[in-house]
Amino acid sequence: MKRQDVNQIKAAILITLAILAVIGYLTFNVNPKYVEFAMRLRVPKLLVMLVTAFCIGGASIVFQTLIQNTIVTPCLLGMNSLYALIHTAVVFFLGSGSLIARHPQLSFLVDLTIMGAAAILIYGTLFKKMKYQILYVLLAGTVMSTFFSSMQTTLIRIMDPNEYDALLGSLVASFSNVNSSLLAISAVLIGLVIFALRKELKLLDVIALGKNQAINLGVDVDKTIRRLLLGVTVLIAIATALVGPISFLGLIIANLSRQLFKTYKHTWLIFGSAVLGMIVLVGGQLVVEHGFSYSIPISVLITIGGGLYFLILLFGKGRQRIC
Amino acid sequence: MLIQQLTKHYGAKRVVDEVSFEIPKGKVLSLIGPNGAGKSTVMGMISRLVAKDAGLVHFEGKDLAQWNSRDLSKRLAILTQSNNIQMKLTVRELVSFGRFPYSQGRLQEEDRQKVDEALAYMELEVIADQFIDELSGGQRQRAMIAMVIAQDTDYILLDEPTNNLDIYHASNMMKIVRRLCDELGKTVILVLHEINYAAFYSDYICAFVNGRVAQFGTVEDVISKENLSAIYGVDFEIQQVAGRPLSIYY
Repeated sequence: MKRQDVNQIKAAILITLAILAVIGYLTFNVNPKYVEFAMRLRVPKLLVMLVTAFCIGGASIVFQTLIQNTIVTPCLLGMNSLYALIHTAVVFFLGSGSLIARHPQLSFLVDLTIMGAAAILIYGTLFKKMKYQILYVLLAGTVMSTFFSSMQTTLIRIMDPNEYDALLGSLVASFSNVNSSLLAISAVLIGLVIFALRKELKLLDVIALGKNQAINLGVDVDKTIRRLLLGVTVLIAIATALVGPISFLGLIIANLSRQLFKTYKHTWLIFGSAVLGMIVLVGGQLVVEHGFSYSIPISVLITIGGGLYFLILLFGKGRQRIC
Repeated sequence: MLIQQLTKHYGAKRVVDEVSFEIPKGKVLSLIGPNGAGKSTVMGMISRLVAKDAGLVHFEGKDLAQWNSRDLSKRLAILTQSNNIQMKLTVRELVSFGRFPYSQGRLQEEDRQKVDEALAYMELEVIADQFIDELSGGQRQRAMIAMVIAQDTDYILLDEPTNNLDIYHASNMMKIVRRLCDELGKTVILVLHEINYAAFYSDYICAFVNGRVAQFGTVEDVISKENLSAIYGVDFEIQQVAGRPLSIYY
């Protein structure tokens, strides 16, 4: 059987699993008398999960290709810690009862604006200034992460314990208290990003050959990488602003997708990564809600699973290919 | 291709210092010289991989910087030393990438034909569906060359193509270079460390020392006891073997 056909079968299985997860999530333990009520609770959460999975899955694959390394996650871009810092600072300086902290729409916009500005500054301007050395960008991201985290830790340490308690809920990724009114604007933004990058996305397969090869084949590598990096950051920012720090998920789903679809074609890889993300998130949330009755947030599951998978990647048999 | 006063600094150090020479069309030109003499940097600049600080690279009537990168990729191909491809890619898929400047990823009938020709030319048909990361170093190098052939350019630039290859594969690689020039009419420019490969398989040699052109000319002109001793700072013996100057050093 040809590789193309095998991949199509795998894709069909993935889609089936994702649909099963969606149906399971929507119908598990629903009291037939209150179907409408249950749907009103579950459908928005489900949509948020699908959007998040798409953002994280797609962004992770693109990011790994840009860095030419399959064990990096867009966590390295520092958006997680920036998000934590913004929320901590809002609660610290304005209080948990403040307008920004109480209004999800407003807080979403503040998150997006600050993260977007940081993205353009760090990954647009700095990248150009650093003469397009992608490793400097990673280094900058890592330093920024640590910097934001330290500031955030300092704020938390001198914070009123009650305020901290109120804050903690938003610092851990969770779909339980997500606001569905943010969905539309997120979807529009994602659409815009994809539209703006439609040409660059087609060049991903060539970029993956390495910088020299891509230049040889007539691609304007520096510009393409800069634009894609910006797009990745914006997608991660959207996902993080929607549900909290969750980009670690990207490591798992991107690598699973690469192992599953043994191909260089990014259409497959991005598709696989996004659908796997949907399966993990929706399935995980099902377990969280009904298996653990909300006692642990889904990010705990993801971090445990992701951590183990990361170790397997590092020490496992796939070693030569990954390092 | 005409190179005029090409200059490159890394920090305060001038690694390439006002280099000028002309690349003869349809011939094999080898760039030789000690480590750090600037030959790879010159190669980088004439292939647009490295930005130049000053000077001109006239290519088919205009400066390299004025060329549209995609048009240029149909005229000039470069293969560098570092080709650690991370992707799951078969030989055929790799060679197909050579058609990217023409097809932008959507292979037409003509592209497929060129890919098949390139695979056949490099005798890669048997392993065409194997993954790149399962190949030996020599096979991988041949696959890379096949990709360059599929790219169908007049000029082919190879940066140390014999690096990391054993004697068998390295001399085969040089024979391929010769065939690219003689059979396909390509202009091939190589960076080489092995002087005897340069002497036996190329038409012209350009020798660099300290970022400058020390010698430029036909093999017979450049490969002499005095010249080589001056370039490398090592004693040389030259013997004529098969009508070519074989240099002996130890």
